[in-house]
Parts: sequence; C-alpha cells; structure tokens
Amino acid sequence: MFEREDETVERVIQHLRRPVAIDPGLDARVMREIAQAPPNGRRVKLWPLLAAAAVLATVLVVRPWIWNAATTVDTLQFVLVAPQAASVALVGDFNDWDPARSPMQTAHGVWATVVRLAPGRYRYAFLVNGVEWRADPSAPAAKDDEFGTPSSVVTVGGRGS
Amino acid sequence: MGINSVEPSDAELVRRVRTGDTGAYGALVSRYRDRLGRYAVHMIGDREDAEEALQDSFVRAYRSLARCDDPARFGAWLYGILVNRCRTTGARAARRRRTFVHDAQALDLAAHADQADRLDWTDAVDRALARLAPDYREAFLLKHVQDLEYEEIAELTGAGVSALKMRVKRAREQLQKYLREAEHV
Repeated sequence: MFEREDETVERVIQHLRRPVAIDPGLDARVMREIAQAPPNGRRVKLWPLLAAAAVLATVLVVRPWIWNAATTVDTLQFVLVAPQAASVALVGDFNDWDPARSPMQTAHGVWATVVRLAPGRYRYAFLVNGVEWRADPSAPAAKDDEFGTPSSVVTVGGRGS
Repeated sequence: MGINSVEPSDAELVRRVRTGDTGAYGALVSRYRDRLGRYAVHMIGDREDAEEALQDSFVRAYRSLARCDDPARFGAWLYGILVNRCRTTGARAARRRRTFVHDAQALDLAAHADQADRLDWTDAVDRALARLAPDYREAFLLKHVQDLEYEEIAELTGAGVSALKMRVKRAREQLQKYLREAEHV
C-alpha cells in the first residue's frame, strides 16, 4: 500500500531540508582567495560620478593586428563611441570585471582600449561613468550572465568573434 | 536588562566590504554558506563539486560586488550566481557517477537500530532526485527546500512563473513515481 503523493513528497521535502554539513574550512578558503584581489566596488566607489548622459553607442571590436603569427594571442581593440561619457572602462572575464585594469582612453568621444587575449570565450561589458553597465550592441549578447547586468561575448581563437 | 545583539544587514556588510573591510565579507559567507551549501549539495549531488561551486560563487560574487545593484538583496544576487554555477557543474557531473552525501543528522541516525531503513530512505531520495531533469530538480529545490517564492525563483532562473509551477508539479509527480519504483526493487 502506497502513501498518498503529498505525504511522500512532504517526507522528501523534510528530509532534504535538514542541514547539510559543509566543510568548515570553506570560509577560510574563500577569504584566502579574495584576499588576493580587492572587489571592484571598492574602486568604483572612488570614481567621479557625473550626470548620466545619453550615450550614443557604436561599438567596434576590431582585430587590427596580431603580434606574431606564430602566437595564438590576439590583440583586440575595443571601441565605444560615447561623446558625453566622463569615463569608460572595459570589464570582462579577462580582467576579473575590474574597471581599474582596463580604463579606456578618449579622443573626441571615441573611447578605446587594447587588450591581449589568449584563445577562449570571454564575456565583457563597458562601464560608463562608473555606474552604467552597457553590453556591446555589435557583439553577441551573453546568455549565461549570472550577475543580472548586460554583457557581450567575444571569442578569440580563429572561430570568429 | 541585557544587551541586544543586532546582526548587521546585508546592505551594511556590502557597504563595509566596498569600503575596504574585507572581514565583513566573512560575515556574509558565514551567513549564507549553510543555506546555499544545502542547495548546491542537493542540486549537484556530489559534495566536492558542490563545495567547489559554493566557494567559487562566493569568490565571484566578491570580485563582482560592483555589479550588485541592490546590496539589500545581496542574498538573492548571490543565489543567482550559485544557481548558474550549479548548472555548469551539473552538466559536467551528470556524466559522472553521483556520490551522495549523508548529512550529519543522517550519520547520527546511523547509530540507531533502524539505520538500514533510514539510510535506504536517504539513498532512495538522493537517487530519485538525481533522476529528475536538472530544471525540474532546480525548481523543486528552490521552491520546497530553499523555500523561495515563485517570483524570486523566476528572477533567479529566468523562467516564467507558470513554467516553474509546471516544473515543480512534474518534479513532485516524478519523485513519487521513482520512490514507488524503489520500494519494489
């Protein structure tokens, strides 16, 4: 004779709700790992926050040259046209989403920076004025972003970007 | 008379971390490790993989703290990172033999005379859970074990509320079916 479905499932739920023993050393491992890199927010906070302006974004990801045909590292130039932005940084998997590591330089509202990347698939975005996350409208959108802000994907390694 | 101890809010701890107090992040880790750890263990089914996913999620969250738009909802944001991380790990782990975790309480029970029945039940539940499709298992755990509202789950998973209700319903039906089958083995 079987239990009613609700009773069985309820029993399963109560079973699964019991505490699970997690390795007590996990906290220490997390803290040790994060001690090696400060959070982005700490730096972002120090950035000047200027009034948000409408940003005309035309982004080009170009691959102007390859340092050496024998190497697989590509040099990518990321460009954002944002004439009213006060600051733009390139952030992505390749720099731990740290805006301090890839600030973009501007000339007449065209922001650019160059990054060398090994073959792989990278998610990235632009941080405008230290607060506004923008995906690259000319690149594929990242479907697997877990942070809830828009981002794009670039693939390095000969299979297109 | 006494001293009331008030735990700092998530928003306050995130604020401290952002201003350089790394130790405040330790409080957030302590606050969420067991709750999220339970989800990861049941979702992935392998303790080592689950702890690796949990650790990685905490580290990724820390490094991306600037992307947490609403520090008061740090927990929900962290959940989202872990849910995604578990999906990635789950896809890999599904191809490997699953080893199941018996929690401390279950191990305590093992000392009793009815240990065989209890461990059989634990094993049967773990196996039934492992047979669910990952999206059914995910929805079932988030709803019934982690006790989240459907709207919260929708935000975490990107699925619609009606789809989630369907997944939970199917998960319940399938769990019942699998456990019945286990009774007859």
